[in-house]
Amino acid sequence: MENIGMLISFLLRVAEPVMAIIIIAVCFASLKGGRREEHALVVLDNDMDKVSYPVLFWENSIGRSRSSDIVINDPAVSRDHAVLLRRNDGWFITDTGSKSGVFVNGQQTTGRCAVAIGDIITLGDTRLVLRRSVTAANRQGYVKETKRVPGPVILGLITIYIMMMLLQSVINMDSTFALIPAMGFIASMFIFYAISYNVFKRRDFELESLALLLSGTGIMLAATHNTDSRQAYVQLAATILGMIIYSFMIWFIEVPDRVMKWHIIISVGAIILLASTLVLGTVQHGAKNWIIIGPLSVQPSEFAKIAYIFVGASTLDVLQTKKSLTEFIIVSAISVGLLVLMSDFGTAVIFFVTFLIIAFMRSGDIKTVILAITAAVLGVIIMLSVKPYIADRFAAWGHVWEPEFAIGTGYQQVNSLIYSASGGLFGVGLSRGYLQYVFASENDLVFCLMCEELGLIIALLTAVVIGGLMLYARGVTTRSRSTFYSIAACSAAGLLVFQSALNIFGVTDILPLTGVTLPFVSYGGSSMASCWGLLAFIKAADERTYLHRHKKVKKLKNNNIRTTVETESSPV
Amino acid sequence: MKKTRTRALPVLLLTLAFFAGIAYFIFNLTIHASEWVSTPTNGHLSDNEGIELAGSVLDRNGVVLAYTEDGERKYNEDYATRCACLPVVGDSSVNNSTAVQTVYRSELSGYNFIFGLGLPDEFKSGKNITLTIDSKIQKAAYEALGNNKGAAVLYNYKTGETLCLASTPVYDPMNVPEDIETNDAYDGAYINRALSASYPPGSTFKLVTAAAALEYKDDIDSFEYDCNGADEIGGKPVTCYEPNGHVDLKEAMKTSCNIYFANVAVDLGKKQMTEQAKKMGFNQNWKLDGIVTGTSTYDVSQATENELGWSGVGQYSVMETPVNMAMISAAIASGGTPVKPFFVKNISGEFGIPTPDRTSSKAKEMMSKDISDRLSDMMRYCVEANYGDWSFGGSLKVCAKTGTAEVSDTGEDAHAWVTGFSLDEDCPFAFSVIVEHGNSGYRAAVPVAAAILEAAANSVRS
Repeated sequence: MENIGMLISFLLRVAEPVMAIIIIAVCFASLKGGRREEHALVVLDNDMDKVSYPVLFWENSIGRSRSSDIVINDPAVSRDHAVLLRRNDGWFITDTGSKSGVFVNGQQTTGRCAVAIGDIITLGDTRLVLRRSVTAANRQGYVKETKRVPGPVILGLITIYIMMMLLQSVINMDSTFALIPAMGFIASMFIFYAISYNVFKRRDFELESLALLLSGTGIMLAATHNTDSRQAYVQLAATILGMIIYSFMIWFIEVPDRVMKWHIIISVGAIILLASTLVLGTVQHGAKNWIIIGPLSVQPSEFAKIAYIFVGASTLDVLQTKKSLTEFIIVSAISVGLLVLMSDFGTAVIFFVTFLIIAFMRSGDIKTVILAITAAVLGVIIMLSVKPYIADRFAAWGHVWEPEFAIGTGYQQVNSLIYSASGGLFGVGLSRGYLQYVFASENDLVFCLMCEELGLIIALLTAVVIGGLMLYARGVTTRSRSTFYSIAACSAAGLLVFQSALNIFGVTDILPLTGVTLPFVSYGGSSMASCWGLLAFIKAADERTYLHRHKKVKKLKNNNIRTTVETESSPV
Repeated sequence: MKKTRTRALPVLLLTLAFFAGIAYFIFNLTIHASEWVSTPTNGHLSDNEGIELAGSVLDRNGVVLAYTEDGERKYNEDYATRCACLPVVGDSSVNNSTAVQTVYRSELSGYNFIFGLGLPDEFKSGKNITLTIDSKIQKAAYEALGNNKGAAVLYNYKTGETLCLASTPVYDPMNVPEDIETNDAYDGAYINRALSASYPPGSTFKLVTAAAALEYKDDIDSFEYDCNGADEIGGKPVTCYEPNGHVDLKEAMKTSCNIYFANVAVDLGKKQMTEQAKKMGFNQNWKLDGIVTGTSTYDVSQATENELGWSGVGQYSVMETPVNMAMISAAIASGGTPVKPFFVKNISGEFGIPTPDRTSSKAKEMMSKDISDRLSDMMRYCVEANYGDWSFGGSLKVCAKTGTAEVSDTGEDAHAWVTGFSLDEDCPFAFSVIVEHGNSGYRAAVPVAAAILEAAANSVRS
């Protein structure tokens, strides 16, 4: 009887990665298939030269510069002349500091100016007429519904995957402890979907499904952890909190104007959050990055990540032009400085890399990036000369197998490697591993814990999902409703990728061990909630996210909006 | 928005770097997985776990040294054989860090890259390991060493196959004594002294000094000395066991004249002595069947002139492992470049599929052929004029050098050494023996060497 159990447990271990591969393939295929082709909805016609410029994006820079979305060869046109942008209530043009100004129907514009079909836009010596594109005649609009795999189908697959793990855990542990966390997770997954569908009117669910796949794996690992399996409940609660934060974030950043209004408050908030940690925080494992309130322990720096990306991407007042990074640089310097003071070097490096991504995406200025890196290198040199003992924390790097480190500061890495190798491709089974007895196995070492108990394939798939999020975020940069969303999505995904790199390569001794978590999988409430918050930025970059909400809004508005605007703008 | 897309390129590169890092991890894992799994602290394999399904360990003649029956690990039924083979085979724990049951635990326990250690027991197939060790020679060494602590190495200097890697004290792996951690009689029983321990080599080191002289000292053939048993070098005494009279290099080797070799070492100087020692295996360690051996050390950087002199006769701070010493003899026997010893002959493939036997390769050159021929003559002369072939059992034509190494100034008995090789075509064996506190190389170590040489000759010739 016992032998049959072991055999079933083994077969489940082989089946789980197959299931995970199917889920991930379905999600990414659906994401790709659901993406619209880039067709112009409107065009700008130059009737004199008989040139027609297709308007492809939600925000289109117009100018003489070759990197503009619409390039106009007219010496009187500035390099960055104007931005033609689309909002839910129509087309607008904004002068981005041109020399000769922007005129709509002969009137010089100031600030954002509505443009209707048939209006004449004059830039320098060029007269352009906004017209409906011929190719768009038979189209619904920019955004259309495409075939995609329905959410419940993907959730069904994830349910099977979680049930396999549950059955495996029952056999391996001879206990039904994991039943409640697993069922709780499955239920919350479907409730999340139902609310997203009915309340927020979001039809697509691929990104959420990928995050759920990872979160579910993390919960099952926590539920079968022999040292403290109650962590599974914390992890489940954190996932639900993550879903709430995610939904709130998507609602909050829907309107770019609201984002602009709030960004100063949020940047101050982020700094206060970090500063209060430094004052009120508790030191745990060398870093002062915890605030403990009664039974709750919170890592504020995790939430500061969300605020930081929000601030970084939103300080664009006039879109798509070179703007001063001063405000963002100040916020960044203070944040990184506070994190260093907390000795939370891993998070400090994550913030710094995120800073580089945002600074470059906003300004395109390689000088700023080089300057920042130089400053950081100098900072590190100064820090190491003032406090040389900090380097000792990383002394084991690359030498973990040497006897003096293998039982000392390299102990976690050495065991991670031993047990990763012991797991093979399919793992030794949930709760049957030994790495779980090593300190921080459920968060810092979780990648190797997966390797050991669930096998190399599932561990690598988590890396594929996180890397895939980045590729997806880049894929939608030109399809998002504003550069704010593009930059926020790329920097959020970049942050997740970089954090995963620090985590995975830290335990495997490819990089120094910095003790950061693996997104969505590692145990830790703050981390889990924060990852969902970051995912919201990626989700918001996809124009389809707000599609059905606008449909509803439109219907209400249709009755009392000028006919011209309504027909020209109807993006749907 | 095209611009934003272009500017996202660095993030894309970051992602590609991330995937490259993952690929590097997979590469590393593929290369090292088996080694990592075999780490003695691996919880899946220690505490008898994993070994209960392990394959068998066999000696070169197919004698089963360790096997599993009904989920229990068992060892050769002959008490002396299983004790004698303990240093090589190990017990069921992972305490014997250089034993095959520790080092090759992942192979024995059915580890493979695809399934790791995750296969259900029914499907696990532990591999069998065949050693080049001959359990009869191993037993002869164990019995000859008796209650002494020590080690004996014997290997075929043509093929590298190691027939004997004995070390004492040992214990019965089927019945591990409870007081093993506290009883002095078991001091160092977990260590295979032949591979891991290093001792002052005493007069056997004169082979190294002589090699250095033949290499670097042009007037060595005319260098002679009148020994009256005591002299001063660097203002402090250097002494011999007894006055050796007028000696040249060959005579000094035979009579083991300390003063002669101390003068040679001082004449050569620190640099050339260190260089020759390094060529002959000192100040470095190497791997033998995946096991890192102990290190032989020759460091005279802080030595006074007198101490440099003493270093030339294997005293001062000089330390040498038995296996290194056997390799020096092998080098002398085979034209200056030894074959590396090995002792794992074969590990069966997945599911018991046979695999080709392992072979060995040559190590780096220790000396030129001219020098090895000269040293070979001197060692043969030592046996003919001094010890006699009969001391080594009489079956083989032996070249050898003994050593008696002072351990301390407190009057503890000196360590007894002998190293050498046999010239016989069918029995080309290099060997070294150490008997801790045996007091005389000739009286304590040579009989052990005789026992293993006789056993080896019998085993080959029967």
